Amino acid sequence: MKRRGKFPWFAYLVVILGAVAMVMPFLDMVMSSFKGPGEYGVIPYKLLPSSFNLDNYRDAFSQLELGRLFRNSVIVTVSVTISVLVTSSMAGYALAKLRFRGRAVIFRFILATMMLPPFLLLIPTFLIMLNWPLAGGNDILGRGGDGGLTTSLVALILPFAVSGFGIFLMRQFMVSLPDEMLEAAKIDGANQWQTWRLIVLPQTKPVAITLGLITFIGTWNEYIWTLLISSSDPDLQTLPVGIQLLQSFLDPDRTMPIVMAGLVISTLPVLVVFLLFQKYYVRGVVLSGLK
Amino acid sequence: MTTAVGRVGADGMAAAPARRVGKLHREGLAAYLFLSPALLFFCVFLILPFIFAIVLAFSDWGGFDLGTLKWAGFSNFGDVLSFDGTFVKPILVNTLLFAFGSVFLATFGSVLVAYCIDRLSFQGFWRVLYFLPVVATVVAIGNVWKMMYQPAGLINAVLNKLGVNSVGFLSDSSFALPSVTVVHAWASIGGAVLILTAGLKAIPEMYYEAAEVDGANSWHTFWSITLPLLRPALLFVLITQFIGGLQSFALIIVMTGDGGPVNATNVAAFEMYQRAFKFGAWGTASAMAMVLFVIILAITLLQLWIARRRGEETS
Repeated sequence: MKRRGKFPWFAYLVVILGAVAMVMPFLDMVMSSFKGPGEYGVIPYKLLPSSFNLDNYRDAFSQLELGRLFRNSVIVTVSVTISVLVTSSMAGYALAKLRFRGRAVIFRFILATMMLPPFLLLIPTFLIMLNWPLAGGNDILGRGGDGGLTTSLVALILPFAVSGFGIFLMRQFMVSLPDEMLEAAKIDGANQWQTWRLIVLPQTKPVAITLGLITFIGTWNEYIWTLLISSSDPDLQTLPVGIQLLQSFLDPDRTMPIVMAGLVISTLPVLVVFLLFQKYYVRGVVLSGLK
Repeated sequence: MTTAVGRVGADGMAAAPARRVGKLHREGLAAYLFLSPALLFFCVFLILPFIFAIVLAFSDWGGFDLGTLKWAGFSNFGDVLSFDGTFVKPILVNTLLFAFGSVFLATFGSVLVAYCIDRLSFQGFWRVLYFLPVVATVVAIGNVWKMMYQPAGLINAVLNKLGVNSVGFLSDSSFALPSVTVVHAWASIGGAVLILTAGLKAIPEMYYEAAEVDGANSWHTFWSITLPLLRPALLFVLITQFIGGLQSFALIIVMTGDGGPVNATNVAAFEMYQRAFKFGAWGTASAMAMVLFVIILAITLLQLWIARRRGEETS
């Protein structure tokens, strides 16, 4: 082990100092969420609260309406994750295992979709959702209504329902599945749908966990698009957007500890999911770096 | 190359016996059915918006009725790129400073950390710690750092302990942009550490053993073995961080609200967002988006070109 063991004290110093810098803000967030009246925003600064009371957490639920925000976050995140998993494994199967005209072109096209930056599509996508035909009171030409598709949670799900990266990940994984297995299914009389559903899908569990996690965490934390869509309809807010926007309506002296309590609650689900499955998440990030 | 040719041959597309054609045809039909949700989605949410974005950048349109859309030629670009406006300076300059600054900090930091973690025990534990900010929402990150930057916050408390006067990190216009840049870099180190770790693990042990035999010290080993062999991973980190840095503005919204003080933290993507959704100036906003898109494309291609050229020189 030649690369280890040299100057480990220096390596430890760097890594520990850096780790403190990484963890400290989160520690400050958690500690602030317990601070009582008159304890926050005073000089001299104190990291620890005088007591660990749960008042801020209670207030976060009543004043920040965390229950409603939580429900929206769960609906949107679960829908997007399921949709991405299903569409990615379908498209990935076709690209990895089926022979058809235009396969190379379509695969290259899907790789190219990952190159378009989201900010470029923000304005046109918003206008398309607004003028969606036969939605939100719009006529067949997409006129006359008030908001088109932007008036329901569909607006937060639909634009994220398919992922080019997801298709790429699934395709790369499925290429390595043995063809003999699929041939055997065909000889037994399975059609393509049955082969995909009964033979291929169960095999994709490890990559599905990876893709599901990346999608879950990304969707749970999504901010800009949700901010935009919910700007005219607060009923569509998710946890990050709701906490950010509602804090301005709270009593300013008591605000930050309550906001911190809300942020702790909104961070916990992602953190738990990440820590449980971090092996899979890490692999997904690394895989995306090797394309 | 040979494998690709071999695979086409094995497909038997060109020389398929007649009875296989029907089967292939059915397989093609099935393939397109499996692909149809994805392809339909990309048409509606990628190709259509992309074309629409180009049309908008060249048009004059304020409302929501497409009938009132008028062709404006290059006038939007003229307005946006005029030196009398605020877009080129300070906003584009801010964007580049923000992106370059955070890429520099995050790359330097992540190379150092990844290299050091690679020499320690409990590597998984350390990487998870560095990864925490990547998993957290921008609202949590932005608010916590905003709090830490306050006069009564953690960072000024540490500065005061060291005998330095409090700094108005977000209220002082000369500190605001660097302060936000540091947070962006802090939040993206974890992802870069992961990619670089994968790169480090791929370097064969025998190179280090050979260096040891030759009597190279660790500094020398790092420069002449680790860094050159880490180049593909490093290049990926650099390019993705640049692309991310140039287009991100969620952190700005959360930390400074309106890109203040007086445009000090305003960046191109945020200005585009404001112009479009606060003032309904779709044309100008779309022209800004196009300018930023071209800049991102140019910088990415430039990085790839430099990397390829240097690759040829050294190998």
